[in-house]
This record gives sequence, structure tokens and C-alpha cells, in this order.
Amino acid sequence: MNIQEFIDNFAAQFDDTDAEVFNADTKFKQLDEWSSLAALSIIAMVDDEYDVIIKGNDIIESDTIQDLFERIEKKR
Amino acid sequence: MSQLTIDKVRIAGMSACVPATVEDNRTLPIYKDENEALKVIASTGIKRHHKVDAGVTASDLTVNAVESILHDLGWEPQDVDCFAYVCTSRDYIAPQTACVLQDRLKLRSDCCVFDLPFGCSGWVYGMSIVGSMMSHGTLKRGILVAAETNTQNRNPRDTTVRPLFGDAATATALVFDSENARPMNFMYGVDGSGFDAVWAPYGGMRNPVTAEALEEKEVSPGVYRRGIDMIVNGMDVFGFAIKQPPRSIKELIETFSIDVETVDLLLLHQANKFIDEKIRKSIKVPAEKTPYCLEEYGNVTSASIPLTMVSRCREQLAGEPKHCIACGFGVGLAWASMEFYAGDVIISDVIIY
Repeated sequence: MNIQEFIDNFAAQFDDTDAEVFNADTKFKQLDEWSSLAALSIIAMVDDEYDVIIKGNDIIESDTIQDLFERIEKKR
Repeated sequence: MSQLTIDKVRIAGMSACVPATVEDNRTLPIYKDENEALKVIASTGIKRHHKVDAGVTASDLTVNAVESILHDLGWEPQDVDCFAYVCTSRDYIAPQTACVLQDRLKLRSDCCVFDLPFGCSGWVYGMSIVGSMMSHGTLKRGILVAAETNTQNRNPRDTTVRPLFGDAATATALVFDSENARPMNFMYGVDGSGFDAVWAPYGGMRNPVTAEALEEKEVSPGVYRRGIDMIVNGMDVFGFAIKQPPRSIKELIETFSIDVETVDLLLLHQANKFIDEKIRKSIKVPAEKTPYCLEEYGNVTSASIPLTMVSRCREQLAGEPKHCIACGFGVGLAWASMEFYAGDVIISDVIIY
């Protein structure tokens, strides 16, 4: 897994937030556009792109995109 | 893999009843503005749902649905040999609601009646259970009810569930028919480690009702629940729903050598459009073969597949047998997929009660 590719995939789930806002240290749950629907889009993207099903707790316990990335890597 | 094939039983008729009161998701008081509401509607596909008034139960809706299909089929209540009630919103903790319904519907006192407390997978499980019993040939006519009043066991101030779930009752009439019925094939699945993905923690024997369990608390900003209310952990359910149902349907297709090209109808539990479209696309069934009724009725758990057939497939199912795949999935976590043919089915109008 490549972190930059993951950040790009992550950013693609947001319509109103500029892609430049996203980096490994982005605290994604603090974004204005973050919502429960955004969370579902992330879960679907991770399934499509990485063939991993993450749980609600993986999102709840991750602060940054890097945190979530590391959790997914462990599940692969 | 647990699989089952049932022969000599077919669907003769279907009916549904929904309560008259409609909640429109655009105007629910749980959103900060209509824009937010429209965003949720765009993603879930659910525009409104029907909701029972205080005092009306799933069994009340059921009586209407059953009486309607008995009438339209020209059956008398005494003709029914087997009656199964798939429902978790039971009338009383005891007895089984099916017993109460035997008397209300005037079914015979030697009729085989029982409850099946399944959720979203319930219609498919119920078809396999009732179909299997009837396939022996002595129970000639059966009624499978799939009913739920989701608005009664969820908190109206729980923003995570209110826009999604509705109330409905359905009746599926089955007949033993050794000449015209084609085999029905089933596959099952369960993941009990996800028991708390959709659950009501209080009110059973593990956590009995206490004064505290009846107190409403704000569990997260804007989300209020009592201990006895149903909790739906949306993220875990979603992760489950995009993985297991497609896998289950693929297992069904492989095990029973189904040519997907010949499938006329893919009947999915009406969870929400986002989930169901992901399932449909992974099975590669075209949109026009995948009917939806969730925009009008929301997620009505075990009733959702039969309600889709009653409200959206009446003409198709009235003619030559259609090749169908159905998949129910949810609380448990439990799921089941089936292949069947349905034709010459008498379908009553949806009753508004």
C-alpha cells in the first residue's frame, strides 16, 4: 500500500473539500464535510481498492488518515 | 456450506399492508435544513416511510394482509395447514404472536403455527422453513407472514435510524404442487460475532428491563436512546452488507450452477440504495431487473423482499414463471440467499390501514 495513493483515494470521497487539504496528518473527522455518509464512502472505497472491510471502530479510533492507513495495512 | 433444495412447493399469492401515516424524510425535524435531508435521501434512496400510530401492532397489519390474500385466492381460513409469523416486534413477551393470530384469523385449531423471530433475512429463512415442511406433502396450504413495526422499537429521536426504517406486514401464500412447482434453492450464513451491530441491549434475559433502561439518554450529539431501543451501528452494518450478501449470492450461483443471464429478478433486502446498488453491481445484474420499493417504504426488515414483489412486480409475477434470486441480510448478523421461480402469482393491492 502506498500512502499517497491512499490519501488520493480518501480525498476522492469528498465533493466540497479541496484535495489539497488532505495529507497523512489530516484529522479527517474534524473536516466540515465529514459525516456518517462520508464514513460509509470510505468503508466502500477501502473495500473496492484494498479488499479490506474496516469496522466502525477503525474509523472511530483513527484520528489521522495515517492512523487509518496503518489499520488497513494490518488487515491485509 | 449449508445448502438446501426444496421441491413441490410454489408461491400462490402475496399481499401487503402498511399503516396510513407517512413520514416524509425531507421534513423530519432531525435535520438542520432541507439540504441535509436531501443529501441523506440521495445516498440512501429512502424518501419516506409508513409508520404505525400508537396502539397498532405488526399483528394488526398482518390480519389485513392475510385476510386480503385469503380472499383474493378464494381460500377459507380453515384451508390453511401451516402459518408462520416472521417478526421481532411481537405483541407480548409470551405467548407467541402466531397463537394469538390463529384465533384472530380463525385458522383451524390443528393448524401448525409458530413464530420465527428473524429480522432482515427472515423472508428467505421463512421460505426455506415453511417450504421445507410443506414439501413433505401433507401440509398443502401455508401462509408465511413477514412483518415488522420498526418505528416501535427504535427511538424517534435517534437520527441514525429514523429516516431509514418503516413498518409493514406481508403475507406469502404457499401451496404444495407436485406438478407445477420448480425446485427452490437456498444458502445460509451467519456471523454471531456481529450480534451487537444491530441489537436492543435491554429487555431480554441477559439485561432485564430496569428503571435505568427506560431513561432516554443522549448517546452522541443529537442521538437519543433508551436501553430498550434498537441500536444500528451503521458503519459495521455497512461493512457487513457490502461483503457478505454478494459473497452469499455468488455462492448460490456457483453451487446451483445458475446462469445469471437467465435471472429475471434480483430481489434484495431493501437496506438502502447505496448498499443494494453495490450488491447488484457485484453480481452484474442490470438495474431494470432489480426492483426497489425503499424510496416509498424505507427498510421494513423481513417484509422488504415480499413488499417489493407485491408493490413492484405484480404484473411480471402474474404471468409465466420468472427466474428469481433473493437475498436477505441484517440483524444477527444473519443472511440467506435463494433461487426460485414465481409465476401465476395472485397479488393483492397494497392495503393502507
